[in-house]
Amino acid sequence: MDQPTASSPAIDSRRIGELAGAPADDVRAREAVFAIDDLSVQYAGSLALKGTTLDIHKNAVTAFIGPSGCGKSTFIRCLNRMNDVIPGARVTGKVLYHGRDLYGADVDPVEVRRRIGMVFQKPNPFPKSIYDNIAFGPRMLGMKKGLDERVEQVLRHAALWDEVKDRLKENALGLSGGQQQRLCIARAIAVEPDVILMDEPASALDPISTARIEDLVHELKREYTIAIVTHNMQQAARVADMTAFFSVEVREDGSGRHGILVEYDLTTKIFTNPSDKRTEDYVTGRFG
Amino acid sequence: MARVQYQRSLDDLEASFQATGAIVLRSIRGVVDALRTQDVELCDEVIAFDDEIDARYVATETDVELLLARQTPVAGDLRLVLAVLHAMIHLERMGDQCVTIAKLTKLSSHLGTRGAVVESLGDMGERCYEMVHVALQAFAARDAEQARSLHELDELVDRANRQVFEQVLGYAGDPDALEWGMRQITVARCFERIGDNAVDIGEQTAFLVTGEFTEFTDASH
Repeated sequence: MDQPTASSPAIDSRRIGELAGAPADDVRAREAVFAIDDLSVQYAGSLALKGTTLDIHKNAVTAFIGPSGCGKSTFIRCLNRMNDVIPGARVTGKVLYHGRDLYGADVDPVEVRRRIGMVFQKPNPFPKSIYDNIAFGPRMLGMKKGLDERVEQVLRHAALWDEVKDRLKENALGLSGGQQQRLCIARAIAVEPDVILMDEPASALDPISTARIEDLVHELKREYTIAIVTHNMQQAARVADMTAFFSVEVREDGSGRHGILVEYDLTTKIFTNPSDKRTEDYVTGRFG
Repeated sequence: MARVQYQRSLDDLEASFQATGAIVLRSIRGVVDALRTQDVELCDEVIAFDDEIDARYVATETDVELLLARQTPVAGDLRLVLAVLHAMIHLERMGDQCVTIAKLTKLSSHLGTRGAVVESLGDMGERCYEMVHVALQAFAARDAEQARSLHELDELVDRANRQVFEQVLGYAGDPDALEWGMRQITVARCFERIGDNAVDIGEQTAFLVTGEFTEFTDASH
């Protein structure tokens, strides 16, 4: 080994910096899975969400927080065209998914929902066996090869396998609420999606089940991109890399109110030093 | 406004910090006066005062623990709680420095005083008093600029510290004066540390206001 000399000192402050830990990986440098530009949504002619522009980054957890009626659920429902099924819903602006217009004429909404899965507030397993709940999607999509292995793999992935491996033929409705929700997450990943949207996935669960879902979200982001709507700000602080705060804006002409994006930044920034006073008031519980 | 009880807890926490600051100011005033007049009784009072500062620091630590556990402060509230906790540690250390000055003053009182050094130390103490006053004021006013001005004030204290050292070197031929002088070097060092702690509180104010922590001076340069 070379002896340290005056020109190559033994103590190199850069090396000490490296030893102390590499700079944190900034998720904003990652590929944008969704590039959303000036997205607005109307229901029956009434504006629900106004002009939202943001990027959702690959293998990151992005949380959407805000008071009731701020448009956060409306927003994530645009990401897999769930608003298509609501009569009178009109979506304007651009949603690019891997650079491709999600609302383009040539895009099949069913394929969109396979690639971009969704988990809802209330666990909604099919009234079928645990096995069939997982196998249903792959079967429908013709992914029939190695189905048993797929079911096991997916249940393991959703941290549910050990709890259900001896009762796969039992009705899924016999599971606890927390287990049902993990089953729904397993069902969503069984069709090999790219993105998982979660709309208040733990708000109906007890704290232990909530913690399991949050642990699962941490695990799943290695392979998937996750967007999560939550009323629980601490949940956003715990699980998300990026956080978007939406609020309600009252229209000056008195014609009603709509949701707007107020601030979108690293979660650490939103919860330690938000840029907008409205965000500060909301996250500190002064408003909303 | 929502969360009335929570806001009250935050207000109480900050009020307690300011009240502790006021006690530290009294301690500094006490040691400066005791130094100038060689008042041993006043030294004892300052030493006794420190228990009050310590008790307040421990109480603040408990209050912060409860606030974090029960209210989960975030954003500006979180920065306030962290800044108060850090600033309280600095106040507690200032209290300890005052105790050391008081004890040294007692210990060296039989050796007689030398006017020039006492004057320098008195000036240092006055500057420290002013710095702590500015630090508390800037914190209350959330004034990052005023907090940054502490760095310049501290340079004057550092300069005075070096001056005391030079003055004491002049006593080399007089054993009594030298013993007394060496104790005064430690006194000067205590004042110098109080100045540093006031700068530290200023840094907490800047963190509270901006959300970013930066040291006003880099000790390695």
